[in-house]
Amino acid sequence: MNIETEELGKAVLVKVSGRMDAENSHEFEQACEQWVARGTKHLIADLDGLQYVSSMGLRSFLSVAQRLQSESGSLMLCGLHGLPRQVFELTRLIGLFQVFDTAQQALATL
Amino acid sequence: MDSAAQRLTLPASVESVALFREFVRSGAVVAEVPSEELEKLDLVLEEILVNVARYAYLPGNGSAEVAFAPDGPGKLHVEISDWGNAFNPLDAEPPDFSRGLAERPIGGLGVFLVRSLVSDIAYRREQDRNVLSFGFPGPGA
Repeated sequence: MNIETEELGKAVLVKVSGRMDAENSHEFEQACEQWVARGTKHLIADLDGLQYVSSMGLRSFLSVAQRLQSESGSLMLCGLHGLPRQVFELTRLIGLFQVFDTAQQALATL
Repeated sequence: MDSAAQRLTLPASVESVALFREFVRSGAVVAEVPSEELEKLDLVLEEILVNVARYAYLPGNGSAEVAFAPDGPGKLHVEISDWGNAFNPLDAEPPDFSRGLAERPIGGLGVFLVRSLVSDIAYRREQDRNVLSFGFPGPGA
């Protein structure tokens, strides 16, 4: 898994690519946590390059989203496709997130 | 499972999951499981084996066995065993989908995903071991 972050004005873009599994999903949480600790309210996770996510990865998404919501912020998702999208749909987590095709669309809602 | 099954036993740890996945993947390719299903097979194996690694034993204290055999065209029969305390993961309550983000429990999604992606999943206690068996791909494939 590779994680890159970029400040986009009102939000921080977190680009996740590769495989998010039991061994590395904590890295996503840590990357998000660093921005939240600095006062960032809105994160946009760009999942276009994400090929695989297991329930441990889902826990990380849920945990970050709950933390941000408790601080009146949000974790938005974009670029979700393939097996990761199917996993979000099967577990019905998809209805708990704001999901967009692109990061620009997510950013436009802020 | 018949004697033609292939078996691999490794320490029950998160680090073993990748080796187990490669092992079953190689059998899935030979059995001509459709290539687009292989990531789902990885997911099923990770979910079950991480559970075994976390809950079957004290850390670093036991092993897990994965066995598989072809089960008709494009299909595998898989059995995953451990020698920990009797535990049926299929007894887990399904996730509560009615809850919103703030109240949604963080756990319990793994077993639900496994059930969604395989066929004929069953648990049995066989002497001193837990055996979880299933067919792959599931009916939705």
